[in-house]
Amino acid sequence: MPVDLKAVTRRPPEVVKVRVKRFHPEKGQGWWQTYEIKTYRGMTVLDALLKIKAEVDHTLVFRYSCRMGVCGSCGVVVNGEPRLSCQTQISEKATPERPEVVVEPLYNFPVLRDLTTDFTEFFEKHRKVRPYLIRLDKQERENPALEYEQRPEELEAFYEYTLCISCGLCDAACPVYASNPRFLGPQALAYAYRYLADSRDEGWRLRLEELERDGSVYRCHFAASCSSVCPKVVDPAGAIQRLRRALLAYNLRLFKKRTAKNVEPMKVSAERWPLPPEARLMEGVDLEAQEKGAPVIPKEKLLED
Amino acid sequence: MKRILENRLGIWASFKLMGATLNNNPERIAFILHRITGIILVGFIFAHIVSTNSLARNGWESWVAVEVEHLRGINPISIAFFIAIGAAVYHGLNGIRLLLVEALALWIGKPERPKPPYVAPSLKGFQRKAIYAVFVLSIIIWAAIGYVMFFW
Repeated sequence: MPVDLKAVTRRPPEVVKVRVKRFHPEKGQGWWQTYEIKTYRGMTVLDALLKIKAEVDHTLVFRYSCRMGVCGSCGVVVNGEPRLSCQTQISEKATPERPEVVVEPLYNFPVLRDLTTDFTEFFEKHRKVRPYLIRLDKQERENPALEYEQRPEELEAFYEYTLCISCGLCDAACPVYASNPRFLGPQALAYAYRYLADSRDEGWRLRLEELERDGSVYRCHFAASCSSVCPKVVDPAGAIQRLRRALLAYNLRLFKKRTAKNVEPMKVSAERWPLPPEARLMEGVDLEAQEKGAPVIPKEKLLED
Repeated sequence: MKRILENRLGIWASFKLMGATLNNNPERIAFILHRITGIILVGFIFAHIVSTNSLARNGWESWVAVEVEHLRGINPISIAFFIAIGAAVYHGLNGIRLLLVEALALWIGKPERPKPPYVAPSLKGFQRKAIYAVFVLSIIIWAAIGYVMFFW
């Protein structure tokens, strides 16, 4: 996510034109509409859309939830670039020479109304790659009593891909996803690699054979736009290339993977570690008594209203 | 009446200059150029087959004589030939980079935890330098060939 980090410190132009691509499903027509709004320092595109909805045109429809780049539901195309509208500053896109922000619904997604897009196909493709751990031991899977053994470096191999928030920006930016409806898309393939690289997963044979049959991995041509627009730096482009290397190794019968064993949970020792000599307790504090019950705060230390 | 608006960009996405609007993404420009040069090369192969076939009936030597006549000096055929050579140079060099990146997953860095300035590992790996190398090398080779073709 190459966000302009200093954009928030700049003041956007006083009045900004927001051009929105709209669509009305009952009239069955789309049109461009321009709104003029007054801005303030730190205003995001989502703030601008909310201001339009509150003050100018309440028929404008868009999807949002958390307003802080965590839920991934406010993805739109701002000035030709797929972005989360809550993370895009007006001052980043509108300049004093050209005080205009063009907002479109996400490319490659069916539009339901205005800026709201349909994610059904997206999540069907997500489901196709089996985004869950597969273990061969059915008994342990149904009634787990043990823990998985995983080393820190094994976690690092796939941790990056677990950060995906399914916002769909990568699919909107991908040129192959745009022209080939059967292509699974960067998001689903990144998730396929996330579970392939996970040492706890034992379904690698199933996954690789399904991916080989589907052929989506070979459709990628490394335009790397997915990694460039990802707001969580998930790097789907890198994941697809690694998936392709894994498939090559699998077809040459060279693919190897260490899968985690089920181990007994670690025992918690009741032994107390001694405090270092420089850490002395305050006078009159009984640590063991403090740990048994809730801490007692002296009355004189309580703040008055 | 349309209840849903299909917003798929289609094949247009392969040529749309999103590389210019997307931040930090010369890979997209390389991809678009790879597509365009590929189309030029397909056109060149057809033209080449047609030209060699129709003229080769008079024998190899007469064909070479005609080709040399066509490629001497600046004329539409020599310019088209020059463009096809440039396309072949870029397509070949970028193809080598893509082979290494796509088949063997080389030069794309290691998975890492996101940290400022939040650039994905595959975008700052060695393949990024390789892209610039491909751009510069193909321009140099193309210019050298142009010098030999037109001004030697």
